[in-house]
Amino acid sequence: MKKIYLPFLVFLVSSTAFAQDAVTKGKELFGDMRARHIGPALMSGRISDLELHPTNDRVVYVGAAGGGVWKSTNGGATFNPIFDEYCQSIGAVEVDPSNPDNIVWVGTGETWTRNSVTVGDGLYKTIDGGSNWQKMGFEKSERIAGIQVNPQNSNEVYVAVMGALWSDSEERGLYKTTDGGKTWNKILYVDKTTGCSDLLLDPKNPNIIYASFWEFRRSPWSFNSGGLSSALYKSIDGGVTWNKIHNGFPKGKLGRIAVAVAPSNSNILYAVIESEQDKDKGLYRSDDAGATWKQTNGDFGLVVRPFYFSRITIDPRNPEVVVKAGLYGSISRDGGKTFKNLGPMHADIHDIVFDINNSDRMYVGTDGGVYRSWDGGTTMEIIENLPLSQFYQISVDNEEPYNVYGGLQDNGSWYGPSSSPGGVEARDWHVVGVGDGYRVLPHPTKKILYSEMQGAENVWRYDRTKEQVKTIQPLAMKGDPKLRFNWNSPMATSAFKEDRFYMGSQFVHRSEDMGETWVKISPDLTTNDPLKTEQGKSGGLSRDNSGAENHCTIFTIAESPLDENIVWAGTDDGNVQVTKDGGKTWTNVVANIAGLPKNTSCWHIEASKFGKGTAYAVFTGYQQGDQKPYTYKTTDFGATWKSVISNDVVGFVRNIQEDYVNENLLFLGTEFGLYITIDGGTSWLKFTNNMPAVAVHFIDLQKRTNDLVMGTHGRGVIIIDDISPLRELTTENLAKEFHFFPIKPATMDESNGFGGTASETQFVGANASTNAKITYYLKKRHTLGKMTAELQDMSGNKIADLDAGKSKGINVIEWGFTTKAPKIATGKTFAFGGFTSPRVPAGTYKVVIQKGKETFTNELVVQYDPKSTIAIADRKENEVVTRKLFDMTQELAYMVYEIDETIKAAEEQKAKSPAASKAVTPLLTELNKLKETLVITTGDNYVGAGEPQLREDLSELYSKVASTFFKPSNAELDNMAAITERMQTAKTTFKKVKEKHTPKLNEVMSKNNMQPIILKSFDEFVKTN
Amino acid sequence: MKHKLLTAIVLGFFAFTANAQTADEIIANYFENTGGLEKWKTIEGMKMSAKLNQGGMEIPLEIIQLKDGRQATIINLQGRVIKQGVFDGTDLWSDNFMTQKAEKSDAETTENFKLSIGDFPDVFLNYKAKGYTVELAGKETIEGTETFKVKLTKKQIKVDGQLTDDVSFYYFDTENFVPLVVEAEVKSGPAKGQVSQIKFSDYQEVSNGVLMAFSLAQGVKGGPSQPIAVTAIEVNPAVDAATFKYPEGQ
Repeated sequence: MKKIYLPFLVFLVSSTAFAQDAVTKGKELFGDMRARHIGPALMSGRISDLELHPTNDRVVYVGAAGGGVWKSTNGGATFNPIFDEYCQSIGAVEVDPSNPDNIVWVGTGETWTRNSVTVGDGLYKTIDGGSNWQKMGFEKSERIAGIQVNPQNSNEVYVAVMGALWSDSEERGLYKTTDGGKTWNKILYVDKTTGCSDLLLDPKNPNIIYASFWEFRRSPWSFNSGGLSSALYKSIDGGVTWNKIHNGFPKGKLGRIAVAVAPSNSNILYAVIESEQDKDKGLYRSDDAGATWKQTNGDFGLVVRPFYFSRITIDPRNPEVVVKAGLYGSISRDGGKTFKNLGPMHADIHDIVFDINNSDRMYVGTDGGVYRSWDGGTTMEIIENLPLSQFYQISVDNEEPYNVYGGLQDNGSWYGPSSSPGGVEARDWHVVGVGDGYRVLPHPTKKILYSEMQGAENVWRYDRTKEQVKTIQPLAMKGDPKLRFNWNSPMATSAFKEDRFYMGSQFVHRSEDMGETWVKISPDLTTNDPLKTEQGKSGGLSRDNSGAENHCTIFTIAESPLDENIVWAGTDDGNVQVTKDGGKTWTNVVANIAGLPKNTSCWHIEASKFGKGTAYAVFTGYQQGDQKPYTYKTTDFGATWKSVISNDVVGFVRNIQEDYVNENLLFLGTEFGLYITIDGGTSWLKFTNNMPAVAVHFIDLQKRTNDLVMGTHGRGVIIIDDISPLRELTTENLAKEFHFFPIKPATMDESNGFGGTASETQFVGANASTNAKITYYLKKRHTLGKMTAELQDMSGNKIADLDAGKSKGINVIEWGFTTKAPKIATGKTFAFGGFTSPRVPAGTYKVVIQKGKETFTNELVVQYDPKSTIAIADRKENEVVTRKLFDMTQELAYMVYEIDETIKAAEEQKAKSPAASKAVTPLLTELNKLKETLVITTGDNYVGAGEPQLREDLSELYSKVASTFFKPSNAELDNMAAITERMQTAKTTFKKVKEKHTPKLNEVMSKNNMQPIILKSFDEFVKTN
Repeated sequence: MKHKLLTAIVLGFFAFTANAQTADEIIANYFENTGGLEKWKTIEGMKMSAKLNQGGMEIPLEIIQLKDGRQATIINLQGRVIKQGVFDGTDLWSDNFMTQKAEKSDAETTENFKLSIGDFPDVFLNYKAKGYTVELAGKETIEGTETFKVKLTKKQIKVDGQLTDDVSFYYFDTENFVPLVVEAEVKSGPAKGQVSQIKFSDYQEVSNGVLMAFSLAQGVKGGPSQPIAVTAIEVNPAVDAATFKYPEGQ
C-alpha cells in the first residue's frame, strides 16, 4: 500500500518544501558564512526596560531599544542575548512570577517615542527560559508598554498596547488572556489615537489593575503629546469594569502618565503627570489606593520630556523611597516631597529597578547602557559587555586593518579597527564627535575624517594625526533662507576629487577644499512645504523643539562613482533629484516610480558602478504609518524604475549596497535584519548566521577585503568577512552536488603580538580570521559516510588534516598555514616548545576533499606578506633552520624511544634471574645515565619542573625560530651549534653503549628464548601518536 | 544500509504529510535507522579512538565508556598519558596538566555527572524509565537541513548550589532521523549563558551494525567549533578496571 501512495506523498512534501520563507532559504545557502560583532560596547546603547527574577537575585533581563533581550545569570556581571531571531526593538520584558525560570514575555516596540524610535512586531513568550520563543499575536501593535502576569495564575496575562506612533490604529489599549495567550480580549480601549502606556497589578491583589492611557502622535515633522483622552484608570474586578481615578489630578488635557504602586503597601501610589499648566505637572501621590491624589513635586527632573521618561519605581521595602526616570534620574527618600539626582552616569534614564533583596543594589537603564549601583544610586558603574550601540551610519577606510567609522544615538561619533590584537576592545575605539552622532566619513586619502552632530549644529573636520578639530558646516550666506538640516544630515565624499565634500540642507552644498568654502549647487530640492516646517510648535503639552523634527530636508547624497557630474539627492519629504551636469540643472524623478506613495522619505540612494544612469533608491514610509519595503532600481537616470523587492522581504528597508563585481548581488538592510539577493532582487534570502534581526541602518562593502560592514541600530558594527563566494552562486554552480569556489591566494599574517587588555567582563569584538580559507558549496548536508579534507604538497604528500564542513550550502575550511608538529621524545614532563607546529613555506598546495568515493581537488597558493620588510633570503634561512631543528627533535625522539624500548627489555630480563640481572645492569646504568641528559625525568609541568635537558633546550629553540618569520638571530644560531654538538655527543655515547652492552642483552634474551628487540622504523615511529 | 534508509525516508515522508510526528516516533525512527533497538541494547561498552587537531598539533584521544557509567578520556601528549573526565563508579576525576596527578572534580560536578550515568550508549535509550521527558519543539533548519527539534529534559542538576533544569535540544534530520546537532545552555564557566553546540556527521556502521557519528564538532553557537575526527569505534571492548580507578595516595 505504501508503495502506491509514495509518489503522491512525495509530491505533497515537495510542494511544502518549496514554500519556504527567506529565513529558511538563507539557512540552506549561507552555511558556514558567519557574521562577527565588533561592538563597540564601551558606550553601550539605549535601554528601554529592565526586569528582575522575583526570587533569584542573580538573574537580570535587559530589554534594549534596538538591541533585543539580554539575560544575566550573575547579577549583571555578564549578559548574553536570548532574542536574536526576533525584532530587536523592545518595549517590555516580563517574568512570570509563578514560573520565573521558564516563562518570560517580551513585548516588542520601544515606547520611549523619540524621533528615531522604531517599531515592534508583536508579543512573544517563552516557556523554557528563552531557548524558544513563540509569537503570541499583536503583529500590528508597533509598541507594547507593559505586560503583567497574575502571580497566582500563569494563564492570566494583561498586555498594555501603546500602539502606532505615526498613524491611527485600533490595535491599542489593554488586552487580557486567560488561556496563556492563545486568545485575547481587548478589555479597555479609548480611541485610535490613544494607547495604554503604563500598566500595573496590585502586588497583593491581582484583580486590582491600574492602567494609564496616552493620546500621542508623531509625524516626520512634528510631535504631539496629550489630549482629552489621556487618563489613569483602575479596575478592582480583573478588568471587567474601569473607573478613571483623577481625584486631585490637573484639569484639562493630560499627557503621558506613569504610575507605580508600593510593593510594601498597596495603598501608596505615585503618578507622574504631564498636563496643560506647567505648575500642575510633576509627581502626585495617593495614600488611598488612587481614590485621591496630591501633587508633591514639580521639579525639572520630574517633568522633563514625558514622552521619553515616564517611569517610577518604588523601593520594594520602603514606600517612601521613590525613583523617577529622567534626564539624570531622580530619587526621593521622603515619599516624593524632595528629590536629588542619581549618581553620575550616562544621561537619559529610562528604567530603574531595585534588587529583590537589597535596596542598595539598583540597576538603571539609560541611553548609554545599563548601570549598577551598590550604594542606593549614588555611585553608578557601567556594565561593560552590552554591545547595544545604535549606529545611524557607518563607513570604512582602506587601512590595514581597515577602520569602521560611524555615529550613534546620543553617544557621539567613533571610529575603530575592524580587527585588533586580542580582539576589538573598548580601548580600540576613538571618539570623534559629541552629541548624537550620524555620519562619519574618512577623507579618501588623508588621515582626516568628517563627523557631525544632530542637525549639523556642528560638522567637524578632524585630523587624526594631529588630533585637531575644525568646524566646517555650511552656514547661511547673504540672501539665503534658514538652512534646514535634517537631524541626521547627509554628507558625501567624491571618488574623483579627494578634497571634495558634500553636505545637504534643503540645498546640496559642495566644497572643493574640505569644507573651507561652500557653494550651493542646487536650488531647494525639497517640497518646501510650510506646513511641515513649523518645528518650533512641536511637542504638544510639553514643548519639544530639539530640532529632531526638522523636515523638508535632503537626507541622502550620492555622487556617481563613474562620473563626477552625476549627483543624486534624496529628500525626507519624498523627492529624488538628479543632476548630470554637476549641479547646474536638477530633475526630480520620483514621479516616475510607479506604486510609491507620495512623500515617502527617500532614505538612501546608491549610485551604481555598473552604469552612469544606474542607481538604487530606498524609501521608508514607516513615519507615515506605512511599513512596506520600497527599493527601486533605475538604469536611465530615473526615467524608469523597477522594484527590486520580492515578497521575501519582511519589514521596511533602510539601506542597500551593491556588490562591486556582480551586479546581481545586492545586500539589503531592513528594519528586521539583513537580506541578500543573488539574482538582482527577484528573490531575497535572509542572512541569520550570528546575525540578529536587528535594524540595519547602513551597509558598506570594503573593497579590498570584500567584507560586508553593517551599522546596526542596536547591535553595533556587524561584519560578514569576505562575501566573494556569493558572487559565484550561479544557477549552474548551485545545481552541482559539490562546487569548489576559487581559492584566493592566502597571505601568511606576520603579526604575533601579545594580545589585548580587556578584563573578563568586558565585551571584546571578534577579529577577522587570518587563516587561509577554503570555500565550497554542498548541495546537501553530508551526514552519512566519511568525508575528510586534507592539504597536500603538489607531489601528493599530506601536509595537514583539514576540518571539512558538512553543512548544506557554503562551507568554509580555515587553515592556519601549519603542518604537523614534531614527534617529541617522551620525558617525565612536557616540552612545551614541542607543541609548536611549523609553518609551510610559500608555494602552491593541493586541497583534497574526499566525500564518500568522490574526490574533489583545488589549489591553494600560500604567499608571504608582500608588504613585509623581511627579506626572502631571511625567511628561507628561518625555514631551513626550523627544518633542521624539527628533524633533530624527531631524531632525538627516536633515540629516546630506542633507549626506552631497550631499558624496558633489559628490565624484564633483569627480573628473571640474578645472572640475567648482572648481565644487563651495566647496560641499564649506562642508558639511564644517558637518558637523564636527554629528557627531563623528574618533576612536574609547573614550578616543580626538573632542570631542562637536551630535549627541552632543543624544543625551546625550535619553537622560538619556528614561531617567527625572521632570520634566526646569531644567538639562536650559536645556541643551535651548541645543541647540535650535544646531540652529536649523545648519539656517539648511545652508539658506544649499544655496541658494548647490547650483545649481552641479546644473549640473555636468546637464552630465554626471546627474539631481540624489534623497533619501529623511524618513519613508522614518527607517524604514530 | 541503503534499504534501511529508504524505509526511513518513506516513513519520514509519511509522518510529515500526516503531520502526526511525535518526539517518541522520531526517537523510535532514530533507533530503527541506526541499527534497531535490539542492537543498541547489546552495547555494554565502547572504545572510541579519535583525533583532535589543534592548529597542526594532532592530539590523539581514546574515549572509553561503559554501561555502568565508568568512563575515561585518555589523551596522549608527547608520549605522556593524561586522563580527563574519568569516572570509576564513585569519583569523577581528571589529571592535572601541571602536576600530572589525579584530582577529583568538585562535589557538585560529580553529583551532576552521576545523574547521567544511565545515558550510555544513548541518552534516548529507555529515556522514560530514566525519568526523562521529550517533546517535539517543532521543525528547524540547521546545517542548512530541515530537522525535528526535540527537547530533552533530564533530572535537575545543581549549578553553583541552585537546582537547575537540565534541558538540551536534539535536531534530528527529517530525512534519515539521525541527530545533526545538539544544543544546550552552558550553565557555568566562562561561556555561561551561551549555547553549546555539537554537530554530528559521518555516520558509519560500527562492528555490531549500529550507525554512529564519526565526526563531531564542538563549540558555542554562532562561534567557531573544534572538530573531533573519530578513527575507530570498538563495541564491547575488553577494558581493565584499573583504567578508571582514582589513584589514591599518588
